[in-house]
Amino acid sequence: MSQIQRTIATASVITVGLACFAVGTGLASTTFTIAVLAAAMLVGELLELRPPERAAVPLSYAVVLMLLRAASPGEFLVAVIAVELGAFVLRPAPNVATRAELFAQRIIAAAVALGLYQLVISVADSQSKQIVLGALALAGIGELLVDEVVFSLQTRRLDLSWRGRSGELALVTSGMLMAVGYAGLEGKGGIGLWALLLFSVPLLAAWYSFERLAVIRRTYTQTLQALSIVPELGGLVREGHAERVAVLALEMGRDLSLDPRELEYLEAASLLHHLGHVCLDDPSVLGRPVDPSEVAQASAAMLRQAQFLAPAAELLSPDPLPFGGGSRSQTSVSGQVLRVASAFDELSEGGDARSLDGAVEVLYSGPGYVYDPRVLAALERVLERRSLVPAAL
Amino acid sequence: MIKYPLRVTILCVGVGLIALGCFIALAIVEGFPDLVAIAVLSALALYAGNRAVDFPDGTKFSAGFMIEAAAVVAFTAAGSLLGSLIVGMFCGLSIANLRDRDWRRVSFNVGNFGLATLAAAVVFALFPSSWMNSPPLLIAAAILLTAVFFVVNDGLVAVVLSMMTGEPVASTAREMASSTFQSLPFAILGVFLGRLYLDVGVVIVPLFVVPIFVAREIFASYVALKRSHDDTVRILIGALETKDKYTAGHAERVAMFANYIGLELGLAPKRLERLRLAALMHDVGKLVVPNHLLNKPGRLTEAEFAQVRLHESVSAEILTRIDFLAPVAPSALSEYTRFSPVADEKGQPIEPHIVAVADAFDAMTSTRSYRKALSQSTAFRELRENAGKQFHPRVVDALIVAIEIRHEEYGAGHEAQVHDFAVEPPAAGLGSAGLGDLLAEESGRDSDSPEVTAT
Repeated sequence: MSQIQRTIATASVITVGLACFAVGTGLASTTFTIAVLAAAMLVGELLELRPPERAAVPLSYAVVLMLLRAASPGEFLVAVIAVELGAFVLRPAPNVATRAELFAQRIIAAAVALGLYQLVISVADSQSKQIVLGALALAGIGELLVDEVVFSLQTRRLDLSWRGRSGELALVTSGMLMAVGYAGLEGKGGIGLWALLLFSVPLLAAWYSFERLAVIRRTYTQTLQALSIVPELGGLVREGHAERVAVLALEMGRDLSLDPRELEYLEAASLLHHLGHVCLDDPSVLGRPVDPSEVAQASAAMLRQAQFLAPAAELLSPDPLPFGGGSRSQTSVSGQVLRVASAFDELSEGGDARSLDGAVEVLYSGPGYVYDPRVLAALERVLERRSLVPAAL
Repeated sequence: MIKYPLRVTILCVGVGLIALGCFIALAIVEGFPDLVAIAVLSALALYAGNRAVDFPDGTKFSAGFMIEAAAVVAFTAAGSLLGSLIVGMFCGLSIANLRDRDWRRVSFNVGNFGLATLAAAVVFALFPSSWMNSPPLLIAAAILLTAVFFVVNDGLVAVVLSMMTGEPVASTAREMASSTFQSLPFAILGVFLGRLYLDVGVVIVPLFVVPIFVAREIFASYVALKRSHDDTVRILIGALETKDKYTAGHAERVAMFANYIGLELGLAPKRLERLRLAALMHDVGKLVVPNHLLNKPGRLTEAEFAQVRLHESVSAEILTRIDFLAPVAPSALSEYTRFSPVADEKGQPIEPHIVAVADAFDAMTSTRSYRKALSQSTAFRELRENAGKQFHPRVVDALIVAIEIRHEEYGAGHEAQVHDFAVEPPAAGLGSAGLGDLLAEESGRDSDSPEVTAT
C-alpha cells in the first residue's frame, strides 16, 4: 500500500467513525458536525475524479456544498482553511510550489462557492426549495469554473463544450444531494450526517469507475504502441516508423477535421499498419523489398479479428489504387491520410528540411497521381506548422 | 428462437396474468396514486432495467432495484400498493425481449418484477410509520425489502430455469442467491430516495439518479474498453498461432493455468488480471522470429539459435512498455524465472515464476513438432523434481493442487487438438531435435541436470 493510500484509508476510517459516533449518540452539535465534514473534505481532497481529457476535480467539492448548509460563513471559512492546510501537508504533489498553487486554488473555489450561495440566499431573502437548490447549484458550478479558468490558463486551451463533463455533473448533483439530505428543504427531510454516509456512495462509485477507466485506457494505448514496435524489433521496419506515422497521421486527421472516432481508428491503424509483416511466410529484412499490398492485407486481416479494431482494418487498403476516378470511393479520407503519412515517412528518411520538401514533391508527382491532393495539402499545412515550431519535430 | 416447453409457457403467461389481475383489483380498490410520481419513477425503472452493466464475469448489475425500493417507500407511505406494482412492472419490461417478440419472456419478467415489488410493498406496509423517521430502521427495512423481493423474484426465476434445464429448483435458487446481496446498497439508497421524495418532492430524483447513472456509464465504458483490450491481445495470440501451429491454444492455456496457480496462492484480483495478461503475452516476442526457424524440423545452428532466443528479450521489452504489466515483464525471460532462494527472500514478484511453471506444464502436456505430449503424471513428476532448482516450489505445489482439486486431466490422450504427422514423432522423452530441446540443452549446461524448458 502506498503512502497516499494509507493516508486516504486512515482519514476515511476517522470520518466514518466520527460520523457513526455522531449519529449513534445523537451528539450532533454543530462543531462536531463541522469536524466530521472537514475530515470528509480532507479525504475528498486526496481523491480526484479524473475524466479523460479533462482537468481532474477533487471530490471535496461535493462536501463543500454540504458544509455550506451545515456551517455559518465564518465556520465555513475556518473549516476550509484548516482542511486545505491539512491537504497541503498530505498531498502527494511533488513540490511546494504546486501544493501552494493548489492551496490557493481550492481556497478561492470555496470562497466563490460561499459567495455565490450567500448572494443568492440574501438577494432572494428566502430559504424556499427553489432558492436553496438554485444557490447550491450555482455554488457548485462556481467551484468548477475556478478550476476551469486555472486549467485553461495552464493549457492555454479553452474548451467549454459539454463533452466529457459527466464527472463534473455527478460531482455537483452529489454535493447538492448531500446538502439537501443534511438539512432537508423548507425544514423537511433532513437526515443529518447520514446524508454524508449514504450519498457519498454513488460518488465514490463514480470515482472508482473513472479510476478503472483511466487505467484501462492507458493500458490499451500502450498495448497498441507496444504492438507497433514489433516489426521494428524484428528488423523489418525502420525504428520509430509506426510512432512517427501515427503522430503525423493524427495531425493531418485533425487538420482535415475528422471526428474523434475516426481519429481513434486512424491512430490504431497507423500504429499497426506494418504488424502483418511479421506473419508473412518469409518476411524480408530491412532493405529488401516486400510487396506492400501483401503487408497491408496481412495487417488488415489481423485487425479484423478484433471487433473494436475492425473499422481500423478498413483503412489499410489492400491494393494501392491510383487516386482519382473509381478509386475515390474505395479509399476513405482516413485511409488516404494513413497512406500519405506512411509514404512520407519512408521518403523523408533524413528528416532535414530539404529531404522533407523532396519527399512532398515525390508524393505530388508520384507515378499515376497516386495520392489525394486534399490530403497532400493537409500534409503540407502540418509540415509548415511544424517548421514554425521547430521543437515539435 | 428458444423453444419453450408447454408448462413453461403456462407459467410465463400465468405470472403475467396474476400481475395484471392485481393491477386491475388494486386500481378498482384504491385508485391511481400521484401520476407525476408514477410517470417519473416508471420511466426511471424502465431505463435502469434496460441499462444493466454486463460484468466480465457474467453477472449483471442494474440500478433498477434502487428505483423499485424508492417506489415501495414513497407509494406505501402515501397509502398506495398499486404504485409499487406499476414501477416494478416497468422495471421488468425488457426492450430487447419486446423487439424479439419473445412474448413469454415479456409476460414473465413484467409479472415477476411487478409481483416481487408488490410483495415488498405489502411487507413494508406492515412496518409502523415511525420507521420512516429513523435512518437505522430504514436501513433495516431495506434489508427486509431486499429479502422479500428476492424470495419472490429469484424463486419464480428458479422454478422456470429448473423447468428448462431439469435441475432441482433448490440448487438453481442457491446459485442465484449470492448475487442478491450485491443489490443491497441499491436497496438502501432506494429507501432513502423514497423518503426524501415524500419530504422534498420530485426535484430530489435527478440529484439522486445522475451520479448513479454517471457511475454506470463510466463503468460500462470501462468494461467495453477492457473487452477491446482483450481483443487486441488476442490478435497477437492469433498471429503467433499462425506462425507456429503446434502452439495453438498455448497462450490461453498458460493463462488458465497461471490463473489456477494465482487463485491457489490467493493473489488479489488486480494481480490476477496482471498475471493473466502477462501469461497471454509471454511469447509475444516470437512474432519477430522468422517462421522457417520456428518450424525448422532439424537442429538449429548457433546463429539461428541466438536469433530464436532473442524472442524472450523482445517479449520482455514489449511488456515493459505497458505500465500495468511492467512489474511482471521478467515473466518472459527464462533466466529470470529460474528459481533462486536468495531472490525469493528479497521479495521479488512471484508472477514470473507462475508463468514459467504454467508455460512448462502446458509445453510438456502438448504435442510439439519434435515429440508427442507427455502424460500428466510425467509432467507433474518433472515439475516436482525440478522444484527448488528450476521452478519455484510453492508455485509447483499450487499448480498440482489446483489441477487435482478440479479433477482435470491434461497431457497425452487428453489434448484439445489432434495432430496428424507424416512421420510420427517419438512418444516419450524429450526427443532429439527442435527448439524446445535445444533450449533444454542450453539450460541443462549450466546446472548439469536434464531439465525441461518450455518454448
